[in-house]
Amino acid sequence: MANIIELKNVCKSFGNIEVLHNIDLTVEEGEVLVVIGPSGSGKSTLIRCINCLEMITSGELLVDTIRIPHERNRVRQIRLEVGMVFQQFNLFPHMTALENVAFGPHKARSVSKKEANEIARDLLNKVGLAEFENKLPGQLSGGQQQRVAIARALAVNPKVMLFDEPTSALDPEMIGEVLDVMKQIARESGMTMVVVTHEMGFASQVGNRLIFMDEGRIVEEGKPQEIMKNPTSERLKEFLAHVKHH
Amino acid sequence: MDFQFSIILESIPTLLEGAKLTWIITLLGISGGMFFGVLAGLGRIAGTEALGEKPHGVFVPISFLIQKISGGYVETVRGTPIIVQAMFLYFAFPMLVKAIMDLERFRIEALTAAVITIMFNAGAYIAEIVRGAVISVDKGLVEAGMSLGITRFQLISHVIGPLALRRMIPPLGNQFIISLKDTSLFIVIGVGELTRQGQEIMASNFRALEIWLTVAIMYLIMTTVLAVTLRTFEKRMKMF
Ligand SMILES: Nc1ncnc2c1ncn2[C@@H]1O[C@H](COP(=O)(O)OP(=O)(O)OP(=O)(O)O)[C@@H](O)[C@H]1O
Ligand SMILES: [Mg+2]
Repeated sequence: MANIIELKNVCKSFGNIEVLHNIDLTVEEGEVLVVIGPSGSGKSTLIRCINCLEMITSGELLVDTIRIPHERNRVRQIRLEVGMVFQQFNLFPHMTALENVAFGPHKARSVSKKEANEIARDLLNKVGLAEFENKLPGQLSGGQQQRVAIARALAVNPKVMLFDEPTSALDPEMIGEVLDVMKQIARESGMTMVVVTHEMGFASQVGNRLIFMDEGRIVEEGKPQEIMKNPTSERLKEFLAHVKHH
Repeated sequence: MDFQFSIILESIPTLLEGAKLTWIITLLGISGGMFFGVLAGLGRIAGTEALGEKPHGVFVPISFLIQKISGGYVETVRGTPIIVQAMFLYFAFPMLVKAIMDLERFRIEALTAAVITIMFNAGAYIAEIVRGAVISVDKGLVEAGMSLGITRFQLISHVIGPLALRRMIPPLGNQFIISLKDTSLFIVIGVGELTRQGQEIMASNFRALEIWLTVAIMYLIMTTVLAVTLRTFEKRMKMF
């Protein structure tokens, strides 16, 4: 399968502090890549570089067919092909669930309002929230909000979905419903997914590949089950022991 | 002390003429003020992540320039009394134009000067209101909008704008009321607004109590109308 994302020797600095060091990474079409690592290791920064919410400082990034930094003026095209789900949901508080989901296709893809609403209803149905379409985000639980946020990102019809700790802000009883939706997307649509998560069950069930990051570098990479069974580095052993107890 | 109600009745038609002018200056002034305010308010944060994508290439110095121009405008207006601004525009500015452009008959109508003064003056304060409200919009929501692949214009008009507007309404109401009351200062350039009309009636009949009481009530009615209009607008918006 072809690579849909390629990072070549990517570095990212904030001011004088380099937080990603010479990252090389490829993601194939249809692959589910899981990213784990301790706090501050650069997981968010890495995936935010992929949809250019952070601009890489050096190196090269290829998403779909668009090359960064050479085609910096095509960042918006990248975002049309790469959806993102945030830890804090970030639903637009002034729009209903339906409006949140219909917004992307209507504005970014110039789909008619009527058609966008159909797309949105369909997706809300898929994430099990059909009867909540007229609710404002503030009237929904965290799990429901995150499912709407997933539908919102899917509505633009991206080729890749990025998830940045989508269940970390949720109460434990709501984590399952969000992970179920993500599993369903991976299985049914064959969506390319890059998922930052500490849910090791999800990683081993759905992930095709896992990378462990530490201090801005990819320290280990491989099949999730194998890596979790036989971690080679001390840091990963420590990290896995820590995660398992949560 | 004798309070004569008839004095009030007699003065009402003239005072209403003044109130009408006050109202016109205020409405034109704050409309223009909103225009300049939004422009300068966004200008002051041009090129920052509060408005989405950070600029690159030639847009970096352009954003910087826009920031400086907007900032210079706001600071100039905030740092000088409105009465000086009105005097400058009405008396000094035409002299400048005459000297520089050799236009012998150039002058500005008092009413025009009044409207322009309120426009620029309110614009500077509204700019600060706009800037503050836009900066206070959750960065995560701006990023969520960006990540959908919408244009900057769509981001500002559908995400940042509506969210910022909700926070702007109370301080805007305050500014509109201040601007309305500021029109009374145009007495110094001879605009026949409400305070001026009151002053003139007073000078002819010396009935201070009746006249200033009526004038005060008329101002109160106008400021109340402004406040109620904004409150209605606020209530009609989808809140969360
Ligand atoms: N906008 C920023 N400005 C300056 N430093 C930043 C910025 N964003 C991230 N950093 C720094 O970059 C490093 C990596 O942060 P990042 O958020 O990518 O880590 P993370 O692995 O996602 O951590 P967490 O598990 O806590 O979310 C951290 O040291 C962080 O302080
Ligand atoms: Mg993070």
